[in-house]
Amino acid sequence: MVEFKTISYEAVTVGEEFMSDDFLIKPEDVETFAYAVDDHHPWYFKESPFGGTIAHPVLLGNQALLMRHSRYIVPAGLHAKMQFEFVEPLRVGMRVRSHGKVIDKYERRGRHYMVTQFETREEDTGTVLTRGQFTQMIFPESGVHLETTNRQGAAGR
Amino acid sequence: MKPQTAKALQVGDALPPLTKSIAQRQIDCYSGVRPHSIHTDPEWARKKGFKVPLAQALMSTAYVSQMMVQFCGEGFVRGGRISVAFIKPVLAGETLTAHGRIKSREQEGGKARVTLEVWCENQDGVKTMVGTASGLESDLQA
Repeated sequence: MVEFKTISYEAVTVGEEFMSDDFLIKPEDVETFAYAVDDHHPWYFKESPFGGTIAHPVLLGNQALLMRHSRYIVPAGLHAKMQFEFVEPLRVGMRVRSHGKVIDKYERRGRHYMVTQFETREEDTGTVLTRGQFTQMIFPESGVHLETTNRQGAAGR
Repeated sequence: MKPQTAKALQVGDALPPLTKSIAQRQIDCYSGVRPHSIHTDPEWARKKGFKVPLAQALMSTAYVSQMMVQFCGEGFVRGGRISVAFIKPVLAGETLTAHGRIKSREQEGGKARVTLEVWCENQDGVKTMVGTASGLESDLQA
């Protein structure tokens, strides 16, 4: 049983590990993503040089980004930095899962940040598909975003 | 505009820009509609200091990915990288343009890794995201 608590700078610990739920990449996920970002490249719907169709390389970004939601209540999140490395193409029918580890947390200009390293693998084969790291702001529980001070990079989830 | 391929461009050359108008419904599809979300709950977004919901910052990496697939093809899907900072929130209803300019071309394992400076600007010309993206040159282009 997971006991959820509201995220805070104090609660997050460096070395803390996260794991997403597993996720089956379905045709409708590719179609929805294509609509959301207006990218209907034929490799995603007809044929690719990899044999068959593939999915958008960044399709699973949210699986990694939302891992902290599997342990914390996150009232709002601002995303400061993102790094991706695309290792193997994503395909419909793959069952995938992301693992992550908090590698740093810091305060800058009165704001709190956490840095998470992640790797997304195909469940059946263990093949690494995507890896990277991201920096997220730990938003104050009852605070509001002060746009005029937004200089370090922080822009949504 | 016809996509430019990696080998046809030199360091300093710019890619054709990619412009996206971001509707709330697209944000809903990207982020998943739920209450207490600054992306899909207008009232909650206002409580958190935004006049309208925000596009998820990660959407900008999808625009960079689209640009890089057009440019590098297979060598971005397998071997590509993105490293960006999100420096300004993007609101629902805004228009973003993704830009890329070739920064370097270096040998890596028998192939050339092409690195671009990438950035997104909103309709007022204000940068919302800055960073780099790279891919391995290949003969297969999108």
